[in-house]
Amino acid sequence: MSALESGSTNAPAPAPAPIATGGSLAERHRGLIALAGREVNRVLKLWQQTIAAPIVSSFLFILVFGLSLGSRIRAIEGVDYDVFIVPGLVTMAMVQAAYSNNSSSVFQARFDRYINDVLASPMKSWEINLGLSLGGAVRAILIAVALVLLALPVTSVPVHDPFVLLLAVALSLVIFSSLGVIVGVYAQSWDHASFVQNIVIVPLSFLGGTFYSVDTLPSPWQEISHVNPLFFVINAVRYGFLGVSDVSVWLSLGVMAALAAVMIAWSSWLFSTGRKLKA
Amino acid sequence: MMPHATNPVPALELRGLTKRYDDGFLALDGFDMTVPAGEFFGLLGPNGAGKTTLISAVCNLIRTTGGEIRIFGHDHRVADARKLIGLAEQDINLDRFVDVEETLLYHGGYYGMARAHAKRRAREMMEIFDLSAKAQTRVPKLSGGMRRRLLIARALMHEPRLLILDEPTAGVDFELRLDLWQYIRRLHGEGTTVLLTTHYLEEAEELCNEIALIRGGRLLARDSADGLREQYGVATLADVYVKAMAAAA
Repeated sequence: MSALESGSTNAPAPAPAPIATGGSLAERHRGLIALAGREVNRVLKLWQQTIAAPIVSSFLFILVFGLSLGSRIRAIEGVDYDVFIVPGLVTMAMVQAAYSNNSSSVFQARFDRYINDVLASPMKSWEINLGLSLGGAVRAILIAVALVLLALPVTSVPVHDPFVLLLAVALSLVIFSSLGVIVGVYAQSWDHASFVQNIVIVPLSFLGGTFYSVDTLPSPWQEISHVNPLFFVINAVRYGFLGVSDVSVWLSLGVMAALAAVMIAWSSWLFSTGRKLKA
Repeated sequence: MMPHATNPVPALELRGLTKRYDDGFLALDGFDMTVPAGEFFGLLGPNGAGKTTLISAVCNLIRTTGGEIRIFGHDHRVADARKLIGLAEQDINLDRFVDVEETLLYHGGYYGMARAHAKRRAREMMEIFDLSAKAQTRVPKLSGGMRRRLLIARALMHEPRLLILDEPTAGVDFELRLDLWQYIRRLHGEGTTVLLTTHYLEEAEELCNEIALIRGGRLLARDSADGLREQYGVATLADVYVKAMAAAA
């Protein structure tokens, strides 16, 4: 017999539960830690789909395009082709993972309405925004690290400038994690979320110079490439790894910082006003 | 039962609460209502009357158009108010990616509970709601009755002072309904204010000290079941309901 039947309640006392209002940083942000933990837990529970699949598909690109076809393609900017494509492929896998994870997680939470459990809680709007964003960021980092570790023995890709690399990775995670959350908030169907992935992010990744240097393109394609945000993301990450870039790395980082600021402002506005999240 | 007269601050105060949805539908129209602390308060009305809109507004799940909501004296949007409310929604809105124990632990985290405290409380809740054997079972594998119990356990996890139950016994079998009644009644007896919406008139009569009838986003009447019968000059709560709704149509 359950306690429900037997009459034991351990019922709530009239006083409220001990909720964190002071104490350490972690104590004051238990909600954020719980929500981020939930998002990462989801990524790890679905690891075949969220981690393994993108690693396999990106590593196949490295093997097929780099090792198989790479010997027939001359070096680009003094870098062997199999090494040249690694930063772009890592970037592509990372931004797609950050975006798709957060757009699907947030849309699912809205669709099944379990996001109400979070929205009704005492968490601050920025904590909810950040907590929902971190799952995609962690997923992207796991994929990127695994891809680099797999690529090392076959391509010996170096790290030219760790500071630029870390900054570029951090900014790209902010941009695409936030974009995923934003689309997850706006999406009315699964098609909306996948549309941005399939029609915007993937084509722009390919056209942003993942497999080639944009400098080799004839006019006007070279100039057109410069309005593609992924061009700057890929080139910043490539500079961090290889020390080569089609454009000034500081311009790339500046464009990325501006995009990151726009995404943060947009997602913060959605969560602070409740627009699209609350009827 | 805790006499509500001892606490002068009402559990819930609605003043001029108005909600017009983006499509123009006016769900609540200048709604005023006070639920004293310690009350077992029932909200009755047909589908579309505004019950769920009212609850969603109180729980900060919709953007209100106008008016004021206070929870034990706090503006409903601030953390001090939100931590005092426990909500079990009408729909089973459980996270499909996590198991029973995680559902409770994450909820505790969202409400600022320390991990050790949340673990203890989750064990209590699982024991009370007969879910201990399913602690590691993910939500999609639970039966309908278990999901309903988990939903209520989650609402109680952070020990709220105001428990809001939106049709908690819809679709559950008679035995579980009686169990839930018994448990909720005992919670109320120990000081928790309960706001209940239901379509079962006998449930409202059985549990609630006071009942409000609403339709079209307006409060039609509020009193005890006996008071309503007397007010409308009829013998049963069902007759009160029919008469009140017909008059408001």
